[in-house]
Amino acid sequence: MKIVHYVNQFFAGMGGEDSAGTGPELRDGPTGPGRKLASLLGDDHEIVATAICGDDYAASHREFAAELVAQASERGAEMVIAGPAFTSGRYGMACARIAAAAAEAGLPALASMHPENPGLGEAAGTAVVESGLTARQMKVSLEGFATAALKVAAGEELTAQDGRIGPVARTNRMAETNAADRAVALVIARLGGDKDATEIPLPDFDQVTPAAPIADATQSVFALVTEGGFVPDGNPDRLESARATKWVRYSLEGLESAEPGQFMSVHGGFSTQWANADPNRILPLDVARMMEKEGAIGRLHGEFLATTGNGTTVADARRFGMEWAADLRQQGIQAAILTAT
Amino acid sequence: VNAEVGLTRVVHVVRELDLGARTTYSAGHLTVCETSVRDLLRDPALAETRLMCASPGDSARIVGVLDAIQPCSKGPGGGGVFPGLLGPAMPVGRGSTHVLRGAAVLAAGYLPRAQEAIIDMSGPAAALSPLAATHNLVVEFTPAEDAPWEDVDAALRRGLVKVAAHLAEAALDAEPDAVEELDEPGSPAANGKPRVGVILNLQTQGKFKDVFVYGRSLSGGLPTVISPCELDDGAVVSGQFGHPALKNPTYLHQTHPVVAALRASDDVELAALILCPEPVNQADKELVSAHAARLCKQLKLDAAIATKEGGGNADADVSLKMDRLEEEGIAAVGILAEMAGRDGTGPPLVVPPTKATALVSTGNYDERMILPAVERALGSPRIALLDQDSTDEIELPVAAIYCAQSTLGWGRLTCAENA
Repeated sequence: MKIVHYVNQFFAGMGGEDSAGTGPELRDGPTGPGRKLASLLGDDHEIVATAICGDDYAASHREFAAELVAQASERGAEMVIAGPAFTSGRYGMACARIAAAAAEAGLPALASMHPENPGLGEAAGTAVVESGLTARQMKVSLEGFATAALKVAAGEELTAQDGRIGPVARTNRMAETNAADRAVALVIARLGGDKDATEIPLPDFDQVTPAAPIADATQSVFALVTEGGFVPDGNPDRLESARATKWVRYSLEGLESAEPGQFMSVHGGFSTQWANADPNRILPLDVARMMEKEGAIGRLHGEFLATTGNGTTVADARRFGMEWAADLRQQGIQAAILTAT
Repeated sequence: VNAEVGLTRVVHVVRELDLGARTTYSAGHLTVCETSVRDLLRDPALAETRLMCASPGDSARIVGVLDAIQPCSKGPGGGGVFPGLLGPAMPVGRGSTHVLRGAAVLAAGYLPRAQEAIIDMSGPAAALSPLAATHNLVVEFTPAEDAPWEDVDAALRRGLVKVAAHLAEAALDAEPDAVEELDEPGSPAANGKPRVGVILNLQTQGKFKDVFVYGRSLSGGLPTVISPCELDDGAVVSGQFGHPALKNPTYLHQTHPVVAALRASDDVELAALILCPEPVNQADKELVSAHAARLCKQLKLDAAIATKEGGGNADADVSLKMDRLEEEGIAAVGILAEMAGRDGTGPPLVVPPTKATALVSTGNYDERMILPAVERALGSPRIALLDQDSTDEIELPVAAIYCAQSTLGWGRLTCAENA
């Protein structure tokens, strides 16, 4: 089987964060960890090309995945594999999206990353197998990846025993009795000593390690970002008031303050009366400009990023966060003020 | 008759609904006088009101549903039900109350902050709304020019309770289908059974997202204990129009399913009803939750069932209370909806409990469903959310179906892992 393997700029040997903005490209033959992977896959399979993209570029240009999969198909790919991405979030998201795009195009696909990689949720049901925490576990990670890839190539479904990871879908259905009766039954079970009975297994939430403080605010570029449903008056791009599936960006060039009638909040989770009376309450542009003039901050970024945090799924919120971080980093921003509502 | 404590519920079942010259009730047939009802709804904030009927099985969709109320009356003139809005703000829940079971009066149309709620009277979504199983008198409205939206909201709330009382008055002299004796907590009959409380979190998050107890918002207050029989008499009236699937309309307070399930239980006693505000900030949520758990302790409860109204932030109002209850040695059960994303793979809860674990699920809010085209639309000719005609085939998340996931627990919708 002809296989195309995806790695990021780092594992392609192009450099670290300084090269994270590199765009997508296809290179002949295996590269980096692909060489070892090729030998593990044996003589029946060939890594015909390596698909590469910088992590920031991939995180801020969703279309990179479909583009690379199209190029891979032109190169004769019969299967696409991506990673291992370990716990690297943007790389994991890219691997998951590549695998999902390949599956969408009808190709067998597989990604590899650590179960705590925040990109895992982007796989959209495409198979992902477990890797180690860091590249120090490269050897064992590649072995597991190759074994699983051989199964996928043979058309087999992967299970947890093959190292398959990722959330299991929960779907709606009708219970025998109504929720009130079930709650009373649960009370009786609980009073009878059953401490495990529940219909909702409790989720584990990941912990985000804060970035290091910026060295000198007076020399840094600041961005204003918000989940307050903050948009130009009239909401030209129809940002959702609840369950947002997208984020928007608008220019702040030439503006000294967020004036009523010019900006508004479409957030459906609180009364927007006071936000609309003075939009600076959601996006503190007036104060940011004052601080810029005083020299307290180096410069204010020329646009703001916004979404609506109201019933938004964790998967979408996580994606917005990674896309914002990559976007801001690519534009040379050192600090962001996220006004939460 | 429990003249001292408790309530006698005199039930008249509605099996047929239409508009006519006089408001009458006879042998399950409710006829509504359009002129009388529109007179009751008259208010300077409303330019016009229109009445329509929608019955179970109709090929009809109600769009933009606001509140829904079960008709009830304690006698001519409307006094004693919906205290603080219709009658004087004095404790209710004793004597006898006539209810029209199987009927509801509801308002549908635009209000600010009201997320469009949908009821299909037939088809796959009908099983997901308690108001698809009732004969509904639907009030459409046109606000008066220049009327503030707050006044429109208040006018509808006052109008709906008047109409609800008016409809039930038609049945005062009718032979009832059932007479139900509802005890107050502390009845000797319950002696020795485990004491279970109901914690009813009421959303208190500003205009159009508020719930009224004796006509007042609980906003800024601490939890309070009332008799479940006060709910039956309309002491709690909803003015909360966000999160359609998670909405608890007045109808569900009047017929509170967890209260009903505990009343029906042979194993445990319905021992208390604790009303709690749902504040907007974390510190207030913590205070209210800790205070509610202390009240439960003082009431010597063995267990409590907590419910919520509203979206993700209100998970905290249930989870914090469950954790504080468990710390007080009281078994805690929560009823929550899941918000696990369109494919059901996301974390199901926004704020899970950290000590308590016993949860009932009312299904995944984000899962989508397709509703077939219908012949007739009420409330609004267009669905703004989808930019489609209200009669079209539509695709929606469960989140948009009125009360589909109400944690007051009327429904059978739940969620589980695929096998």
